[in-house]
Amino acid sequence: MLALLAKEPAHGYELRHRLARALGPLGEVLNPGQVYVTLSRMERAGLVRGDQVEQSAAPDKKVYEATPAGRDHLAAWLADSSWPKVAPAEFHLKLVAAAATGLADPSALIDLQRRELLRRLRKVQRLVEEDPGDLDGMLLLEGTALRLQADVRWLEACERRWRAGDKQ
Amino acid sequence: MTTVIQASGLSRHYPGDGSPVRAVDDVRLVIERGEAVSVMGPSGCGRSTLLHLLGGLERPSAGELTLDGRRVDGLSEAAWARLRRRSVGFVFQAFHLIDELSAVENVELPALLVGTPPQAARRRAMELLERLDVADRAAHLPARLSGGQSQRVALARALVNEPLLVLTDEPTGNLDSHATGELLKILAGLREAHQTLLLVTHDPRVAAIADRLLSMRDGAIVDDTRLDGGLSRQAALAQIAGWDA
Amino acid sequence: MPPAVRLITRLAWRNVRHRPWQAALLLFALCLSTSTLTLALAVNESGTAPWDRLHEATNGFHVDAFVTPRRDAAPTDEDVARARQQLADLRNAPGVVAASGPWRLLYATGEVAGKPTELRVQVRDASPAAVGQPLLTSGSWLDAEDTVVLEDGLASTLHVKPGDTVAIAGRSLTVRGTAMTVNVFPYPIDPPGTVWITTSTAQRLDPAAVAGETEFVELRLSSPQDAETFVAAHSGSITDDQFRADMHAWQMYRNASNGKLEFVSIALGFTGTMLAGLTIATAAVLVAGRMAAQIRQVGTLKAVGVTPGQLTWIQLIEYLALAATAAIVGLTAGALIFPLLARPLRVAYGAPEAAPITLNRAAIVAGVAVFVVVLGTVRPALRGARHSTLRSLVANVHQPPARRDYRASRLARLTGSLRLPLPAVLGIRAALRRPGRTVANAAGLTLGIAMVIIGLALNGKTADFRLTAAQEEAYPGEAAELTGLLDQFRMILFAGAALLLALAAVNAAVAAIFAAHESARNQAILRALGATPRQTVIAFAVAQLSACLLACALGIPLGLALFNSVAGDLGSAQLSARTYAAVAAVALLLYAVAVAAPARLLAKRPVTPLLAYE
Repeated sequence: MLALLAKEPAHGYELRHRLARALGPLGEVLNPGQVYVTLSRMERAGLVRGDQVEQSAAPDKKVYEATPAGRDHLAAWLADSSWPKVAPAEFHLKLVAAAATGLADPSALIDLQRRELLRRLRKVQRLVEEDPGDLDGMLLLEGTALRLQADVRWLEACERRWRAGDKQ
Repeated sequence: MTTVIQASGLSRHYPGDGSPVRAVDDVRLVIERGEAVSVMGPSGCGRSTLLHLLGGLERPSAGELTLDGRRVDGLSEAAWARLRRRSVGFVFQAFHLIDELSAVENVELPALLVGTPPQAARRRAMELLERLDVADRAAHLPARLSGGQSQRVALARALVNEPLLVLTDEPTGNLDSHATGELLKILAGLREAHQTLLLVTHDPRVAAIADRLLSMRDGAIVDDTRLDGGLSRQAALAQIAGWDA
Repeated sequence: MPPAVRLITRLAWRNVRHRPWQAALLLFALCLSTSTLTLALAVNESGTAPWDRLHEATNGFHVDAFVTPRRDAAPTDEDVARARQQLADLRNAPGVVAASGPWRLLYATGEVAGKPTELRVQVRDASPAAVGQPLLTSGSWLDAEDTVVLEDGLASTLHVKPGDTVAIAGRSLTVRGTAMTVNVFPYPIDPPGTVWITTSTAQRLDPAAVAGETEFVELRLSSPQDAETFVAAHSGSITDDQFRADMHAWQMYRNASNGKLEFVSIALGFTGTMLAGLTIATAAVLVAGRMAAQIRQVGTLKAVGVTPGQLTWIQLIEYLALAATAAIVGLTAGALIFPLLARPLRVAYGAPEAAPITLNRAAIVAGVAVFVVVLGTVRPALRGARHSTLRSLVANVHQPPARRDYRASRLARLTGSLRLPLPAVLGIRAALRRPGRTVANAAGLTLGIAMVIIGLALNGKTADFRLTAAQEEAYPGEAAELTGLLDQFRMILFAGAALLLALAAVNAAVAAIFAAHESARNQAILRALGATPRQTVIAFAVAQLSACLLACALGIPLGLALFNSVAGDLGSAQLSARTYAAVAAVALLLYAVAVAAPARLLAKRPVTPLLAYE
């Protein structure tokens, strides 16, 4: 959300609309109230600033824009390559955000993320190589390895998508 | 550490419709002895062409290439062949075993090419096949080997002359999951033995064998990063545990 | 056109376009075989009972009777009239159903094409005779005074055509036509040459320049088999101290005709038969070779849902189109070339050549072309269609028969212990691993070697014949003509041998190209492993040479056996051991060059596309 505001100021309704578009089918489950709650939370944290705009025909509404602190926060988020559990949605948002704001190159994000994932995969594979005895432990490691592989493959899919996007 | 591969400005262009296709474009690359390097990137990014350039199967359009400190970009076909038989082992996705020769004959072939006496070559080939657990198939023709067995024979063939550099092109591309697992163990073993390896792949498991990852896009290396180091064993285990907790 | 047929037609066309050189080569071999077959059939038909054909065409005699004044006799006019009457009386003898004559037979000196020549002059009527009317081979029969018809061999040997002028006994005559007859052998086999003139022309000849005065009648009997009995019964009736009578049964002429140029006629027929047979065999080998390469495509097509029946049609259509083209080209080429053989054939057989093409023979040629193609198509196509789709798809990963593993590897070890250079060992191993492929390649070459042996044996026979001809210089004036004629025969035989050699070369080239094509991947692998281009070329050439060795081992005896079985009357082929060795050496050398050429081209190509070739 912050990323979308960093690109250009918007009011709550617009923001919700754009968010829904970027998230695709996931946007459908977005609670309209959540947007406003999050916005006010971010405003309290000083990441966004809201300006009341007077409108003649309609009730006044608040236009939000990102503050410098907000932009810094955004950059740090983009650069963070740790891979949380619900990776695909968040990483996808990052790519959308990076492309939207121009703060980072989506391809570079993908490379960064792949590097991190492969490091982990390598670690897991080495753990497997080191003690191949424990069957339960092996199963756990194997599960981890398979998830990491799946994520790397998904990154490849992202790469194709974003490269295709470049060319449009 | 000594440098095995040193490339600068390495390029390979093909004539295309209108503008030439830059399969490999201005690549700068240094690979030290004992390094295991994987190359990833989308299809058509020039990974295989780079591999072929490094092994002398293709000639660069421009740039310099040294192998083990020796300039090789201008070598003749025959000179490259002589260099290749001692210093470079190839492993291909499609195995590329010679159909008319049995497994062990395929393996001993490069040894015979460098002039190893036949008995010694046969002994060395059998040793390798044993190490790679395909010794029982030694007398079989490639048509009667499974994919995994074929690729292990191909790997044995690549290793028979203890080459400076082993180049693999999608080694698991034609293998099922189990055979891939077997091959991964072997490749990891090679890395542990400090065999210089270049793994062109899109299989994350193969890529994760390496100490170093090259990402290629449009013929250029866009990312070159080390995969080793990072988390300690404890930290890694904690991460895994935390993740799944 | 139903969609399936259109699809099939398009696929067949694509197939041809996809491998134009193979298709062109195949078409070439097929055309060569149909042309040769057309020629061979026409030659053989010309050589089939030539005397009988001419005899029938001229309504020839069963008995002829000559009355000649004895050398030291001085017959009076009355004697002559009496002798003539006795001769004429034979026409009414019991058993005679038709007759012509008495005709006068003179010997005169003439000048044909500016060359003084002894001539036999038959005096006949302008109107066609009931028996023994000479068969015109060009122009027309005698129709006016001062015209002449030349025996066909004389006219063609001395290059005289209707409309030209020749001089006989000092009189200039216009040539009306050329003709053949059963009681005269073609010039220059049996000099002097024969001409026909009318009685009125004969009367204008300078009597001083005419020698000899023979009269003869030609008789047809109701039972031809009794001709010899007829001769025995009547030959004593005319002979007296003034005249000598000679009577001959038709069988004598027929037997004599077989002996004259027997060698030539056998050689011609033999060359024709061999050429036709071997070209057909070559085409069959080619077709079969190409079919083997298509098994994989069969798998792909089946995978997308083309039915086995449609598949067979695809291939049949492709090859039937080739066969039809080949038949048309062959018949046309044969018809165009055949007239060039006409003269030697007429001289050799003493009868007019057969028509270049008859409906029957055209049907045979077309039938053979189709047969060759179907033979090559049906079996592999059916096999491909019966193969599981999967098996056809992986058929490009050649699956050598497993049961040969052990034996081959023992042989391979043997080659290893011979301390041959590695490329050669590799080549031999590759050949041993694929004995079937080696034999298939060898088959084409074997035919080629057999062709060479046959050609050489034939040439040897021609040389023998020349020697005897040189000894037979009975007519010194005609010796040059006879030599010229023999040279023509030699040319024909050499052309036949050259054709055989050309086929052998085509065979070798095809075998080499197929083999190079197939070995492309192996060569690329070898190079990836560090074999130099030179080593890969040597390995390939050695592998192929084993096929050539096999071909020499089989081809030489095959050629001899074929020659000896067909040319039995000529005596067996006699070639020195040196010749065999030379043939084998030259064949190996040429084949090595032939196979090295495509292999070298391959060696110059970069490795990577070859490896990606699958």
